[in-house]
Amino acid sequence: MSALGGPAQTGGVQPPTGMGLVLSIVLIIVALALAFFLVQMAGLIALVGIIVGGVLIAFGVHFVPVGGAPAAMGQAPGIATGVAMLAAGAGLAGLFGGAWAAPFGFAVALAGGAVGGGLLMAITCTMVNVIYVFGMGIPAASGKVAKDPITGDTFPEYKSQGTEGHGLPFISWVGGVIGGALGGLGGTLIYLELLDIYQAQLPVILNVTVEQIASVAISLAGIFAVGMFLMNAVLAAYNITGTIEGPHDPKFKRFPRAVIAAAAASAVAGIFAIALLGLVGVF
Amino acid sequence: MEEIVFGIGITALAGALATVAGAAEDTESDIGSQGDPNSQVQLAPQMGYIHRIFNKAVAGEPPAYGLWVALGAGLAWAFMAMQINPILAIVLGSALAVFVQGVYATTAYLGRTASLAKFGQPVYIDILKSMTTVTMAHAFVAIFTTVAMCHLMISALGHPFPLPLLGLVWGIALGAAGSATGNPFYGKERQYQEQKFGAGVPISASGNIVRYAEAGQRNSLDNGFFSAKLGGPASGICFGLIVFFELWRTVVFEELNIWGPIIVGIIVILVFAIIDRYIEVWARKTFGPYTAPEEASS
Repeated sequence: MSALGGPAQTGGVQPPTGMGLVLSIVLIIVALALAFFLVQMAGLIALVGIIVGGVLIAFGVHFVPVGGAPAAMGQAPGIATGVAMLAAGAGLAGLFGGAWAAPFGFAVALAGGAVGGGLLMAITCTMVNVIYVFGMGIPAASGKVAKDPITGDTFPEYKSQGTEGHGLPFISWVGGVIGGALGGLGGTLIYLELLDIYQAQLPVILNVTVEQIASVAISLAGIFAVGMFLMNAVLAAYNITGTIEGPHDPKFKRFPRAVIAAAAASAVAGIFAIALLGLVGVF
Repeated sequence: MEEIVFGIGITALAGALATVAGAAEDTESDIGSQGDPNSQVQLAPQMGYIHRIFNKAVAGEPPAYGLWVALGAGLAWAFMAMQINPILAIVLGSALAVFVQGVYATTAYLGRTASLAKFGQPVYIDILKSMTTVTMAHAFVAIFTTVAMCHLMISALGHPFPLPLLGLVWGIALGAAGSATGNPFYGKERQYQEQKFGAGVPISASGNIVRYAEAGQRNSLDNGFFSAKLGGPASGICFGLIVFFELWRTVVFEELNIWGPIIVGIIVILVFAIIDRYIEVWARKTFGPYTAPEEASS
């Protein structure tokens, strides 16, 4: 993305290289084997959950319509901020809801996380259009497609001169909500898996009751979930390079590469999070 | 029932605090020029337009506010552990976090502006003196209200996260909401005030930001004055609605059924979908197309 020209229109699919694929699979298998070796079946299941959570986050980030600096001047469609940061805002709001609902069970917590992330994006995307329409008098227009795939609205005649489009067309709004929901779901899944591991292991290692370590386990799981969320969101942002309009953007098709990278990165980061207690036990 | 009424009161208070936080955050970031529109402030001298706008965008708003709010929350948490009154602890924690923001703003302005020396952009010491304190004051309001909101979520509503972690989570969400809503208004409406209203800034105009005010040269305080009229309050409403609905759906509907908050959340999302679609269609009808559809369909 250049300050002058906006994002380059390089939307082609960029499949992962063979080398990257093999390396990722090896890393994931090694991490899974280590998890099984260190914490037996519970560790293996937790790591699988963490990998799935990471993949959901990276995939979800591709849905979020982000226009960066050009969007702040009405030069390109999307939300005028960074990809990773907006996704993180939504995903962490989801994590807030998911962690709150954790005592009611796995399914409720996951759904709570997804709805929390989706809700933040729904409100944010609506307010972006409020500012564009009522503050700046600019209608929404996509620069990547001529017609909205959902509503059938046409865009070329609503693009102002010398711009690539502006505002958030409805397809981008829907993409934002889906992205926020996937991010909230992934973040909450990572949190729940780590919380299970810590709540099972910490009392044994420290020889205390579950209630006594509850706050430590929640803090550790929460901060690791935030960290892994940011890691996967940034990986996906590198894959997107700059700006994306949502699921209708040609860049969206790049997601397989980010998904593989996120799986490998989550496996490696996850094994450190899981093995952390082993280190505590050693010392 | 009493518990729900108490919960609704706390929810309303947290929503109000979040609204103030969002408005202060966006105004702070516009005075300090920290959002995405700062790309133009950085670009302008390179295109030959020397200006007196503050320039501290060395980090995005979400990570910066994640840091400051987590710092304020962490210090407040430590003070509370020392048996200091929570309100005093939050004030002290926020005040200390604001000093970090002040150091950040000073070094960022000096560093970013000094990097433009070869394009003839001077470092204005009076800008540094007069504007850093204004951004710090706004940052204090944003940090204090967010930390107070997080404290309410824990002590009154029973959220399991510790205060510093909750500060990080809501600090990042605050920055995300504020930058998403407030940035276009600061970027398009203020920096490019000379461009036509009701249209995006043509890419060819990049860097040609407005540099003169009613009297003398424009500075970032003028920008704060402008964006506090719409961009700031709109960001406040955005963040306030997020916090309010997030808490309200849980506090009120969790008692009825554990799936209640989720169903209500989905309904709220659908309501916002309808509002958004209405606004989009209203804009298309009211403003009309820029060019005739036949011409553009090629």
